[in-house]
Amino acid sequence: MATLRAVGLRKTFPGVVALDGVDFALSSGKVHALIGANGAGKSTLIKILTGYYPDYEGRIEIDGKEISIHKPSDAFKYGIEVVHQEVDTTLIPYLTVAENLLIEKIASSSMGLFVRKNELLNEAREIIKRVNLNVDVRKQVADLTLPEKQLLVIARAISRSSSFIILDEPTSSLSLIETRQLFDIIQSLKKQGVSFLYVSHRLSEIQEIADEITILRNGQKVAYFTRQELDLSKAVEAMLGVPSTEVFPEKPKEISQQRMLEVRNLIKKGRLWDISFYVNKGEVLGLTGLTGAGKTDLLHILFGSMKPDSGEIFLEGRKISLQHPKDAIQAGIYLVPEDRRSQGLFIENTVAQNISFPFIKYLSKVSFVLLEKEKRYALELIEKVRLVPPNPDMIVKNLSGGNQQKVVVGKWLGKQPKVIIFDEATQGIDVGAKRDIYTLVRNLAQNAAVIFSSSDIDEVLGISDRVLVLRDGRIVAEFKPDKIDRQMVMQITTGAIESCP
Amino acid sequence: MSSAQQVKNIEQESSHTLSTRNAKYASVFSELLLKYGLIITLIAVSVFFSLKTEAFASIDNLLDILRAVSILTIVALGVTFSVVVNGFDVSVGAVTGLAVILAPALMVIWKFPWYVAVLISLSAGAIIGFLNSILIVRFRIPDLLATLGMLYLVQGLQMSITKGDAVYKGMTNPWSPDRAIADGVISPIFLKFGQGFVLSSESFRGIPIPVIIMLAVALIAFVFLELTRYGRIFYAVGGNSEAARLAGIDVNLVRTIAYIISALLATTGGLVLAARIGSGAVKAGDPYLLDGVAATYFGFAVLNARRANVFGTVLGAIFVGVMLNGLTMMNIPWYIQDVIKGLVLIVSLGLSYYTTRR
Repeated sequence: MATLRAVGLRKTFPGVVALDGVDFALSSGKVHALIGANGAGKSTLIKILTGYYPDYEGRIEIDGKEISIHKPSDAFKYGIEVVHQEVDTTLIPYLTVAENLLIEKIASSSMGLFVRKNELLNEAREIIKRVNLNVDVRKQVADLTLPEKQLLVIARAISRSSSFIILDEPTSSLSLIETRQLFDIIQSLKKQGVSFLYVSHRLSEIQEIADEITILRNGQKVAYFTRQELDLSKAVEAMLGVPSTEVFPEKPKEISQQRMLEVRNLIKKGRLWDISFYVNKGEVLGLTGLTGAGKTDLLHILFGSMKPDSGEIFLEGRKISLQHPKDAIQAGIYLVPEDRRSQGLFIENTVAQNISFPFIKYLSKVSFVLLEKEKRYALELIEKVRLVPPNPDMIVKNLSGGNQQKVVVGKWLGKQPKVIIFDEATQGIDVGAKRDIYTLVRNLAQNAAVIFSSSDIDEVLGISDRVLVLRDGRIVAEFKPDKIDRQMVMQITTGAIESCP
Repeated sequence: MSSAQQVKNIEQESSHTLSTRNAKYASVFSELLLKYGLIITLIAVSVFFSLKTEAFASIDNLLDILRAVSILTIVALGVTFSVVVNGFDVSVGAVTGLAVILAPALMVIWKFPWYVAVLISLSAGAIIGFLNSILIVRFRIPDLLATLGMLYLVQGLQMSITKGDAVYKGMTNPWSPDRAIADGVISPIFLKFGQGFVLSSESFRGIPIPVIIMLAVALIAFVFLELTRYGRIFYAVGGNSEAARLAGIDVNLVRTIAYIISALLATTGGLVLAARIGSGAVKAGDPYLLDGVAATYFGFAVLNARRANVFGTVLGAIFVGVMLNGLTMMNIPWYIQDVIKGLVLIVSLGLSYYTTRR
């Protein structure tokens, strides 16, 4: 029974205190959740514990004995390992599951010249059994699904007898079922004495999985709860410094009956079946469902970046044909795509260049980009999306997830949209930035129709005026969010309830 | 939120800017080295050669160097366009070589007027660029492989025009059944593109026309890529083609245009080369591929651009030219020159990538 304890951790960067005297303990067989907005100090804490920073103040001990962690190999030695959000970075895609698991053993001289294949395979099978991972160990890692890879990384950590595992946003790309499976594994590993530091933005999960919760804000520990004491609204309040009721903006009482977008009998073979719905001006239409239910396909059809097999789309009553995203943009339909890094941003470019890109035509004269005009334009939009710091010359790569997302949204604000589509717009961003995005969504909805797609049921219920649920490529339910609770929605998405009562 | 809180809230961002600022103060030297490394080296090398050789520092020699690098610069700018859209065109050397044979052959064997020969050559180049892009955009063959295939194809085509012979005045017509002498000539106007001067006077030899062509191409390319929105679009496609597509850009069209520009510039380089040597030499374009790629990648580091860029490429090409010219003047044997070229490329790229990483 080991306890990892950090006392008075403090880390400063020139001009900024990133972590300001944080105490914190992780005992074996426990899940300790660490939450906080971006910049609260979570990543600094993780980096200290994993030996990323050679210097900091405070001490770290295991069972009361001070240990020294100043480089990654130190952390490794004491059995502290982190499972990052992007699991791919720590796996070798073209090696098999077994080879990835036992790479150190294969590389070490004890193995001799030739790889003893059967021995390795058996050992690997034993290891993945512990995390309930059900794959052929001879399979290439490149062929695994994301949740499988995640379990593989956890399995590898355990096989190295790591006893403190840091999970950094583990569920951000998992569906509900996959999240459930991950939780089951965590529960069973807890019983074997493994402890988890669980970093997440999703409060509902934390409520379910965590034994203890520490909340950071501005580098300080602002609250600590045990599982029994946890009160979600207090937690949000502690995290933001404002009452939780203010996370979602107020919804309008009345919504116009003016049809902005209407979809009739949309079919995409193998993906979507007979989709018909509408969204009015001034309305936020929520769209939810499991990963693979067809949400993203539907959105990409509405944006012209995927072609349906049949079906009709009407904008303000007129039938439109979308062959390419440029047609959609021309018509006033904009998309904030699911994966900001790979689909929404030019990561090496500045904020201004990113924000001005879609409408650069209007910032040019005979094709020459007017730099002054571009800068003023960027500043205006930066203010609209509340980017911090409001600097148009920052390279986007260096911004936090929340700020990057604001840039992706901001680039569409230069021209009044008719329909604006958000696909998993708050994935992996902190509560503070989420609140800003929700406010933007509401503001946009004043003069446009908004389609807000997310697998986070709480947020869909919180932001939308009306919700559609997709399952296996069909719309299985439509309801007003105040008429239903999240349990029920979850059951509809998974098919536990056939459709809406 | 108070401003003090905001300051703290942006931990990640500000710590970054601050730490870079700090690094800047801490190592002004490495920053300077990174930003101005190539320019400093260029000046240093020039000064060194001027001191070592009498002829180096004269205006005429300077223009000679520029003339020597003009063809390379034009071809390298083509490579730059393909690299900007995150592609890679290895067929440029072959395309250059094709123009070197095709234009003189059209004039000597088939007796076309020079402008028709030039137009046909440019069209052939454009078609090759278009075919490259079809292979890459439509059939989704990786850029390197598609253009590698095209390299062989064009090289073969180049030889087929004359059945493997060089083109010169008074050659036997390879297509004539009775091996008659081809009685066309390479037009003197055409030759001016490679050998002529403008602004000549009694005291001044004049500026070589290839240098004028190079400067014009470089200027147009610079304005296009750096100042217009089309440049933004090209770089955007290269930076993240999916994000560009979802911002309404016809990514395939942009890549097609980039490959056509690449082949057109390679052809232009070939035409100037043919005019310069005054005949159609076989495989004369080959060295321009590697030198062009080297110039483009030398340019990556110039002014810390960290991307292919026109100014950098021009400087990179001049750098290659200055080195070769200086080394030749110092009587360094030709076979050592490649060794030095390789070393300089490795050191300069190594230095810039190493400092970027830190």
